[in-house]
Amino acid sequence: MTRITSILATACLACAAAAAAPPADEPLDPDKAFHPEARLVAGDPVATGNTERHGIDIDYRIAPGYYLYRSRLRFEVSPPTLLIGAPDLPPGIEVNDPFIGKSAIYRERVTIHLPFAVSIAKPGRYKVKIIAQGCAEDRLCYSPFPQEVVVNIPPGYRVIDAPMPRGIPR
Amino acid sequence: MKRWLPFAGIGLLAALAGVSLWLAGRHATPVAPQSGPVEATPAAIQSAQFVDGDGKPRTLAQFAGKVLVVNFWATWCTPCREEMPGFVKLQSRWQDRGVQFVGLAQDDPAKVAAFSRELGINYPLWLGEAEVMALSRRLGNRLGVLPHTVLLDGQGRVIESRIGIFSESVLDSRLAAITGK
Repeated sequence: MTRITSILATACLACAAAAAAPPADEPLDPDKAFHPEARLVAGDPVATGNTERHGIDIDYRIAPGYYLYRSRLRFEVSPPTLLIGAPDLPPGIEVNDPFIGKSAIYRERVTIHLPFAVSIAKPGRYKVKIIAQGCAEDRLCYSPFPQEVVVNIPPGYRVIDAPMPRGIPR
Repeated sequence: MKRWLPFAGIGLLAALAGVSLWLAGRHATPVAPQSGPVEATPAAIQSAQFVDGDGKPRTLAQFAGKVLVVNFWATWCTPCREEMPGFVKLQSRWQDRGVQFVGLAQDDPAKVAAFSRELGINYPLWLGEAEVMALSRRLGNRLGVLPHTVLLDGQGRVIESRIGIFSESVLDSRLAAITGK
């Protein structure tokens, strides 16, 4: 009797799972296909020298079969009192499109560094607004979509001897 | 111990297995990704403003009475470009049977013109700003993806809204079913 009950329960669970699972070819929501997280970077050594990195790292986890366009990424910090320099975008994977020519894409994981353009960052909660664009391989593309991540700068945080990012005049 | 109980259990298991197989089969069949609910009225669809390649204002109302295949696309969208040669063939095949294709894009007019020449696009490619994707979303494109194709009847009512590639053969069959020709 107990065995029959347990078999029936297992079968019911399997049925419910089959009913709940989305069809395999249903596209993911943009935030699931391209999932960003923000991380405060305070003084990570840079491999190429003795300088230190200060800023925000945006870590993207990209679902299998999806890719982001490198050149279409835009970042904006709010409130804008926290100034950031030009984003440090890894080169990515070069692709050659017969119509739009060469471009670079990101797959799986990528970290984009947003360097601080100030020597002192006021503590607080900052939002990083992102505009991204990407595709599901051979199926469809996402028109530019907004995303938002949050980073907290704790009291006492101080950017010491932070190198001035590219594009920001001293 | 009730003797019927094991038989009842087996019967129920068989029923559950049947339901599971049906559900699995439903998912295994290649299906188009589902779009969301349509919120735009026929009047709003027909009066939405776009511009053609020469910058002249255009609306879908000019094709009232025809079955419309409205395709939202972009030059940077590879899957969009893959399906368009099929649309060119279908436009030729169906143009005398009351079917009209229209491409809508929020894109660089020069790139659209170059693309149109290169592929010999034989239907209008109109342009707009953010209202293009806004209309696409109101026509069921919940995720804001491309390509998105909407089939409208002669009064501007939505017959079908599909995201992802619309293959030539499938669309051909749909047009035959819609027009009865």
